Amino acid sequence: MTDRLISLGGWLHRRAENVAVAMLAVMFAAFIVQVVCRYLLNLPVGWASELTLVMWLWLVLWGAGLVLPEREEIRFDVIWGAAGPKARRWMQGIAATALLILYGASLPAAWDFVSFMKIQKTAYLRIRYDHLFMVFMIFAVAVLLRYVWLLIQVLRGRVEAGGRTLEDLP
Amino acid sequence: MSLPIDPFAASVISIVALALLGLPIGHAMIASSILYLMMEGLDLGTAAEQMLNGLFSSYILLAVPLFILAAELMNAGAMTMRLLAFCNAFVGRFRGGLALVNVVQSVIFAGMSGSAIADAAGTGKLMQKMMTEGGKYPPAFAAALTASSAVIGPIIPPSIPVVIYALVSDASIGYLFLAGVVPGLVMGLMQAGLIVGVSRRRRFPVEPPVPARDLPRATLTALPALLMPAVLLGGIYGGATTPTEAAAVAALYALLVSALLYRSITPASLYASLSGAARTTISIGMLIAGAIVYNYVVTLENIPTALSAWLAAFDLSPLGFLLMVNVILLALGCLLEGTTILLVIVPVFIPTANALGIDLVHFGIVCVVNIMLGLITPPYGLLLFVMASISGQKLNAIVREVLPFLFAMLAALALITFFPGLSLWLPRLFGYQG
Repeated sequence: MTDRLISLGGWLHRRAENVAVAMLAVMFAAFIVQVVCRYLLNLPVGWASELTLVMWLWLVLWGAGLVLPEREEIRFDVIWGAAGPKARRWMQGIAATALLILYGASLPAAWDFVSFMKIQKTAYLRIRYDHLFMVFMIFAVAVLLRYVWLLIQVLRGRVEAGGRTLEDLP
Repeated sequence: MSLPIDPFAASVISIVALALLGLPIGHAMIASSILYLMMEGLDLGTAAEQMLNGLFSSYILLAVPLFILAAELMNAGAMTMRLLAFCNAFVGRFRGGLALVNVVQSVIFAGMSGSAIADAAGTGKLMQKMMTEGGKYPPAFAAALTASSAVIGPIIPPSIPVVIYALVSDASIGYLFLAGVVPGLVMGLMQAGLIVGVSRRRRFPVEPPVPARDLPRATLTALPALLMPAVLLGGIYGGATTPTEAAAVAALYALLVSALLYRSITPASLYASLSGAARTTISIGMLIAGAIVYNYVVTLENIPTALSAWLAAFDLSPLGFLLMVNVILLALGCLLEGTTILLVIVPVFIPTANALGIDLVHFGIVCVVNIMLGLITPPYGLLLFVMASISGQKLNAIVREVLPFLFAMLAALALITFFPGLSLWLPRLFGYQG
C-alpha cells in the first residue's frame, strides 16, 4: 500500500514537473512573440506580456509547492550540516511545527483575499483574479501537506536529507 | 493587550531562528511575516496579498528565468566548449596559459550567463579536467581559480544580481549593466596579473602554441558564441529591446545557434535545459516571494527611514558610509546567501545612500561586487562548495589557494568603492546623468 502510494506520488511529481517546464516554455515563447510583434510588426501585444507574468507567478508558486525537492530549497545549512541525527530531528520537528501553525493560521484569511479578488479581471486576458491567484492556495496547501509529511517522518524517527543542490543558485 | 516583545523584533528573531533550524529561507521569511501580522492584529491575508501582487507586478524579474535558461542552453549546446578552445588559441601560449584561459573565458562568458554559479558549474568541470590533466596544475589551485574567476560573471552584464538590485533600488537596469563592464575588466586584469606573478615560481606549464594559421578557424567556430554579448547588449542599448526582452532574445539565440549551427542539441537535452532552468527559477523565486512579503513588514515599520535618521546622527561622509556598508555586507556575506542580502539588507541602506548623495548606480555595483566576493569568502562561500564538489578536493585546500585571489578582489573592491568613475564612466558615455 505504502509502495503504491509512493510510486503514485512519484508519478504525480513528474507530471507536476512537466507542467512547470511547460509554463517556462510558454513564458519564453510569449516573450519571443512579444519582441517580434512589437519591433518587427509594430503591433503592440499587451496580452503577451501579461501572459509572461501569469506564467512567472504560476511557475514560482506551483513549483515551490509541487515540484521543488527539499534538497533544492535555498537554506542556511551550516548548523544543519554539523548537527547529528538526533539534533536534526529536533530541528526539523520545531521548524515544521512553527511553519504548520503560522501557515495554517493564515490559510482562511488567504482564502478570503483570493476569493474576494473575483471582482476584478486582468487587463488583457480577462482572467478573473481569483482564478489567477488560486495558485497561492495550491502552494499553501501543498506546503502544509509537505510539512505534515515531514513532521510525521520526524515522529517516526526519519529525517529528510537537508541541504541543497549547489548548482541552483545565482 | 500589551505584548511581552515588540512584534518587529519577534519577527527578526523568528526569521533567524527558523533559518538556523534549517527551514528554507523563503518559508522562514513568510512564516515570520505572518507572525508579525498576528502580533500586530493585522489581516493575515496580507501575506498572500503582498506576495501575489508583488510577484505579478514585477516585470523586471522576468529577466531572471530567461538568463538562467540562456545559460543552460549555452552549456547544453556546447557553445561553452568552443569558447574555451578560442581562449586557449590566444592565451594558452603564455606561462600559466590555462590559468589565464580560465580568467579570460570567465570574462567573456560573463557577458552571457548572468550567474556566478552557472559560470562555475558550466565551465568548471571542463576547466578542472583540462587544468589537472597530466598533473599540470595543483587541483586545489585550479578549483580556487575557477571559483575566483566565476565571481567576475555577475559584475559584467548581463547579471541576475544586478536585475534584483534594479528591482529594489529603482535604478536604471540598462545603466547598471553598463556600469559593471569596467569594474569587471579591472577584476579580470588583477586576477591575470596574480597568475602571471606566481606562474614562474610555481612552474606553471605553457600550452603548445596554436599555430597562427589556425587562429582564424578557432575564431570562426567560436564566433556565434562570441557574438552573444553583442546581440544582448546591442539589443538593449540600440533601444530595440528592454533588458527583460533581451534576456529572451539571448535564450532564443543560444537555442538557434546550438540547434542549427552546432547541431548539438536534442529534444531530450532541450527538455533537460528547460527543467533545470525551471527548478533554479523556482528556488530563487521562492526566496524573492519571501522577501517581498517581509519587505512589506520592513516598510510598515519604516526601518530604512529610521536607519537613515540614526546614521545621520553619526555625520558619516559618503565614503565613510560606503566603507561601513562594505564591511557589513562582507561580514553578512560569510553567512547569508547573496540574493537574500540583496533583497532584504541592501534596500535598508538605499535611502541613506540617496540622502548622502551617493550615486545609486555606483552603489549598486559596489553592493554586487561585495556580494559576489561573499561567494568565495570562507567559511560559507557558495562557490567554494561548488568547486569542492566538482573537483573532489578538500575545502581547506581550496580555501588556502583562494586567499590570494580573495585579497586581490578586495583590493579591486576598494578601487571600485573609492573611484565612482570606474563604474560611471561608461554609463555617462551613453548619456547617464548621474
